Amino acid sequence: METILDVQDIHTFIGQYHILQGVSVRAPKGSITALLGRNGAGKTTTLKSILGLTPPRQGKVVFDGREINGMRSFDIASLGIGFVPEHRAIFRDLSVEENLKIAERQKGDYVRKQEFIFSLFPDLKRLIRLPGTHLSGGQQQMLAIARALVADNQLLLIDEPSEGLAPVLIEQLMEAIKQLSAETSVVLVEQNFLVASKLAEYYVIIEEGRSVKQGNMKDLADDKATIHRYLGAA
Amino acid sequence: MAKNRFFPTLKSNGGMLVTLAVFILLPFIVGLFDGASPAQVWINGSGQSKFIQGLAIEIFILALYALSYDLIFGFTGLLSFGHSMFFAVGAYGTGILLKNFGFSLPATFGVIFLAGILQALLFGMVLPRVKGITFALVTLGMASVFHVLVISSELGPYTGSDVGLQGVVPPEFISPASQRLRLYFVTLAVLILVFMLYKRFVNSPTGRVCTAIRENEGRALMLGYNTFYFKLAALALSSLTAALAGMLHTIYQPIVSPNVAGLGYTVTALLIILIGGVGTLNGALVGAVVFRLLDYGLRRYIGESASFINGAVYVAIVLFLPFGIVGTWRLKSAQVKQGWERLAKLFGSR
Repeated sequence: METILDVQDIHTFIGQYHILQGVSVRAPKGSITALLGRNGAGKTTTLKSILGLTPPRQGKVVFDGREINGMRSFDIASLGIGFVPEHRAIFRDLSVEENLKIAERQKGDYVRKQEFIFSLFPDLKRLIRLPGTHLSGGQQQMLAIARALVADNQLLLIDEPSEGLAPVLIEQLMEAIKQLSAETSVVLVEQNFLVASKLAEYYVIIEEGRSVKQGNMKDLADDKATIHRYLGAA
Repeated sequence: MAKNRFFPTLKSNGGMLVTLAVFILLPFIVGLFDGASPAQVWINGSGQSKFIQGLAIEIFILALYALSYDLIFGFTGLLSFGHSMFFAVGAYGTGILLKNFGFSLPATFGVIFLAGILQALLFGMVLPRVKGITFALVTLGMASVFHVLVISSELGPYTGSDVGLQGVVPPEFISPASQRLRLYFVTLAVLILVFMLYKRFVNSPTGRVCTAIRENEGRALMLGYNTFYFKLAALALSSLTAALAGMLHTIYQPIVSPNVAGLGYTVTALLIILIGGVGTLNGALVGAVVFRLLDYGLRRYIGESASFINGAVYVAIVLFLPFGIVGTWRLKSAQVKQGWERLAKLFGSR
């Protein structure tokens, strides 16, 4: 299967701390890959290292056949990688429409994509003129994901999409992520194993800054011992 | 059929148009109260109207200067402690070129324009390397070097050292002595044009990226924006505006004091937008009016101790109107209760 993202044994430092001590991730094209692991394992740092926000000192990051480590963050993003950070990172002083328009990489991206975006997140159409600060947590999360869909991204990196959301919203969000994965490959960080197992086809487990296991999500779902050992869930 | 856009435009800009009309008519209305006919005011007779024109010119210049600070601090989130340098380059540059080199006003404007771009590039050099308070301190350092140059005895023949630049003769056609009404309208026109340009800028895609940078630069980077160029664009526009304000200041004032190059003058800009409302644009205009009139009124009726009351008023505004006058007006909520709580905290009571 063709690989969209190939992270090869990256080592990342934050200050003097050696946070990632050998993480490898292979994300097949057109699929959802989940990065799993306990709090502080290094999942978010892995996403940030891919994007060049915390550049790795060692190892390689290959996106769509091109080595991207060492490139500047905005250049990496321009290659077609969308990022949805944790904590619903929208621009609160901008309206919903402005939040979406600002993500245009080419003029007309927003107009071209709005039908698709509003079919995934119908609520946003109703709230289009409202400032980001007036949105609820779930609406902000939807907007953050919708923003990453405006430009023609080949890969979406989503950090903790279900964090702090009500169950009904998680269902809605999962459905939207599933639908968008038909067009865009997705790598997501998810604490909630139930959500991750329903969404993703592939997984990578990260433990204390190292990738310790990866493979097919269906196999992991049957492997109770691994789940218990690395994720603490039964 | 073409949609009539006149009335909606009129409605949405109603407040602005009324303010503009008031300022256009102000010299004549004051003249009438003073017993001078509009014709007498028009031919620039002396009296109360001429005095009010002078006060208003000062307010327009302050508003222009505060607008430039609101763009980089209020909209782009760049805290600069060296903003006074932008103003002082315009003020001193104009004075030196007119007085020492006999430049015409258009030629002076051209040089000041270039100087405005250059100083923005100078500040821009450190942009990719430092952020937040470090950027503020580096810009303070640059402005301090400029301040030292201005007051140095070596440059005394040009800058007037610590006494200030004196004896600049502005062009006759906008001389504040003989053509003050004309200078009044020129300054008002410049302010309105710059204000409209700024409105356009902050509502443009570039302006929205600047707002995004203020909120979270990392997020803007992740959308593929090279934020450096956007910050530089805001700095350049801000620098040009402040230099233009400095230029008008020299044309109006008989003396350019070295104080305009000091940290205190940057604080003046900060204070004005804090009073009016940070990141609102209109706040810079309202803040300049309140700042200048308060200072003038208190000094006139109280004297030197006015500074103390001035300071108390500013503290009260920050405590009770943390979003400034315009910001509070838009939110429609003065924070009276919270203000008292903040005040109590200041004095250590619970």
